[in-house]
Amino acid sequence: MAAVTEIEERMRSARRSFDALKAEMARVIVGNEELIEQVFIALVCGGHCLLEGVPGLGKTLIVRSLGEILNLTFSRVQFTPDLMPADITGTNVLTDDPSGRRVFDFQRGPVFAHIVLADEINRATPKTQSALLEAMQEQGVTVGGKLHRLENPFMVLATQNPIEMEGTYPLPEAQVDRFFFKLLLQYPSHEELSRIADLTTAAPPAPLREVIDAGGILEMRQWVREVPLANVVKDYAVRLVLHTHPKQEGGNGATTLARKFVLYGSSPRGVQSLILAAKARALLSGRPNVSFEDLRVMLSPSLRHRLILNLEADAEGVGAEKILGEILEQVPEIP
Amino acid sequence: MISETEILQQKFAGLLAWEKLKRRGQILGTLCCYSLAAAIVILPFHAHLLPLASRAFVPLFIFLILAPVFLFRQRWRAQDSARALARMDKTLRLEERAITAWEILARGERSAAEELVVTQAADRVKALEPKGVFPRQLSWREYLVLPLLALWLMLIWLEVGVPVDGDVKLPRAQALAHQLREFSRELQEKAKREGLSDSLQVGRELEKAAQKGIEAKTDDEKFKSELAGLTKKVETMGRSAAERQSNAVAESQESLRDLKAELEAARDLLNFPDAGKGPGEARQQWLDRLAMLPQLKRQLDQGGETLSQNELQSFLDKLNRQVTGELDRRTLLEAQQFLEQLMKQGQGDKGESNARVAGRGEQDSPSDGEKAKNRSSLPGKEPGKREEGYASLPEFQAGAPAHVKGMLGEGNSSGLVFKGQPLAGKSDISQEEVIASYRRQAEAELNTERVPEALKETIRNYFLSLDPGEGKK
Repeated sequence: MAAVTEIEERMRSARRSFDALKAEMARVIVGNEELIEQVFIALVCGGHCLLEGVPGLGKTLIVRSLGEILNLTFSRVQFTPDLMPADITGTNVLTDDPSGRRVFDFQRGPVFAHIVLADEINRATPKTQSALLEAMQEQGVTVGGKLHRLENPFMVLATQNPIEMEGTYPLPEAQVDRFFFKLLLQYPSHEELSRIADLTTAAPPAPLREVIDAGGILEMRQWVREVPLANVVKDYAVRLVLHTHPKQEGGNGATTLARKFVLYGSSPRGVQSLILAAKARALLSGRPNVSFEDLRVMLSPSLRHRLILNLEADAEGVGAEKILGEILEQVPEIP
Repeated sequence: MISETEILQQKFAGLLAWEKLKRRGQILGTLCCYSLAAAIVILPFHAHLLPLASRAFVPLFIFLILAPVFLFRQRWRAQDSARALARMDKTLRLEERAITAWEILARGERSAAEELVVTQAADRVKALEPKGVFPRQLSWREYLVLPLLALWLMLIWLEVGVPVDGDVKLPRAQALAHQLREFSRELQEKAKREGLSDSLQVGRELEKAAQKGIEAKTDDEKFKSELAGLTKKVETMGRSAAERQSNAVAESQESLRDLKAELEAARDLLNFPDAGKGPGEARQQWLDRLAMLPQLKRQLDQGGETLSQNELQSFLDKLNRQVTGELDRRTLLEAQQFLEQLMKQGQGDKGESNARVAGRGEQDSPSDGEKAKNRSSLPGKEPGKREEGYASLPEFQAGAPAHVKGMLGEGNSSGLVFKGQPLAGKSDISQEEVIASYRRQAEAELNTERVPEALKETIRNYFLSLDPGEGKK
């Protein structure tokens, strides 16, 4: 019973932390509650996010505020075509030591922060992009043959501007697949815009208070992995991912839109992301187990960037959202 | 105190048992619906193949055929248990606590987090009553069972789908009854005419049975069973009659009839007084007259020539009984054959009756050795054999009203009309027999008619003068 009580306390703590985070974020961020939740989920799952939205929607503000609330270091990198990999990872600089000898001193790049905002990642060259992506994957950078570990927790939020695609270097699908979530920022509504105007044109709000620290985040990462998952729920997640493929295993037909518009379906990272995200959501919701609803909510953020669509989808304006929506409608929870 | 594990196990077991019961009921209802629907759809096909009692069980047969298929396809599987628990989760808003706890219980060992799931699930389902929360809901198939059953019973009762020919069964039985009645009346007529007591009795019984069938509108099956009973009875009477007969069995039908006619004539001869003659002379004259009856003469030659008058009387009586009995037996045999043919006719679909009616002539030609049947069995009515160059005998009009101018004045005379239906090449009777039969009848007429003695000789001599050789010209 002591263990059960501990688990209950753990759940309550996670719920409290999350509610406090949402409340603090609401002081500076108008709307985007769902986005904030998904970013936090990605953080506690140890994943990275790809944010897509037009300029001025508050992407930088969200990430910076998140860093303040979580007492995590934050850095922002504006990607430009002339950005070099060393500008991200850091480089060895020739300096004089106290004895006067010339030595190479590693100067850390902006990637050495808990939360890194890689703004307009698609504007940098693939070489520069790969430097960041390597850091995301390896949790460290190798400079001059020496591995430098990154902070823990470490999270990258990369942004893409969906309207200025000329002169950009779109991320390869294999690299996009490494992001835990792809989150979409919506243009604020009338009320939200009015509220934004109030917030940003008046006196700045009081500093954000710390809700949880890095240790708490790491602890929550462990709790997430301990959330029980029923086999039928896991099977549902697997079937959802499998239905993104135009030709399923065993001859079972995919959905109509998937057969028509999907070139390649989600990789296995998709089901990992989906299940982890569902566990995190269950924990943050105060539930001891994963539910079907958790999977349904986390499906789009987890898989929308993992579907490779054909030209016909582009011509007809069919996006991944529509395909995933059909999958949710047609795939039963229990076959 | 019951642990959370036990609570959950009890509740899960109760829920699954209730769901399985509902599944069985659903399968039963679906089977009943489809069985009744299929039976109604195929009603026209089995309506005329099966009797009414078997048709009522057609839905049951279809049910038994479909049952294994449905029971296999809709058998309870593990996924059905998961589905039932997921439904409970949704209904009670447990957010998959129940189904997760169910799997955790099946594993055995569990972590602290899993223990929490079990605890919370048990807390929320301990007050659950599956029957109240998940009541049985009938599907549209189950709602259709009663109306289909009522429809089926109505269709069976109204005999819908029975082909039109089935309706003819009743009139067919009626037609057979009518035929039987007609035959029985003719049989009685013949039996009365020839003094056949057994045949007369049978004729009356047949008429009674036929009348009963007509009035009661008996169906075909019942009527055929009655016919079978009557046939058996007639057969039994014929067999017992056969056991009594002796010499007469070997005689042909025509010989028997001739013999019977001659016996009638002989009786008259024996009873007709001869005025003015002495006993010896009268006896000799009487024997001479008897000798003119060829069949009787043959019988007498076999052992009756030296008999006295009384002994001859008894001999003739005995012979008469034998002949009458044999005729009776043969008539019963004909009746039996008619009944058998009537039964066969009743089993056929169509076809006119080809039953042979006693006393009625056959429409088709008789085969060799077979006597054609005529309305009367009296001599002179059999069809004769037409030989080449033979001029048929003039029609002997006896019985037609004629005036014989006698000495005392004109008076009426009555006689019998002999008219045979000649069928060329089909007669098995010789000319001699025909003449002899005419002669006998004339003799009988002479003996009964009030004809003056002088004319009797004239008439007798006329017939005696008919030489068979004269006909062959």
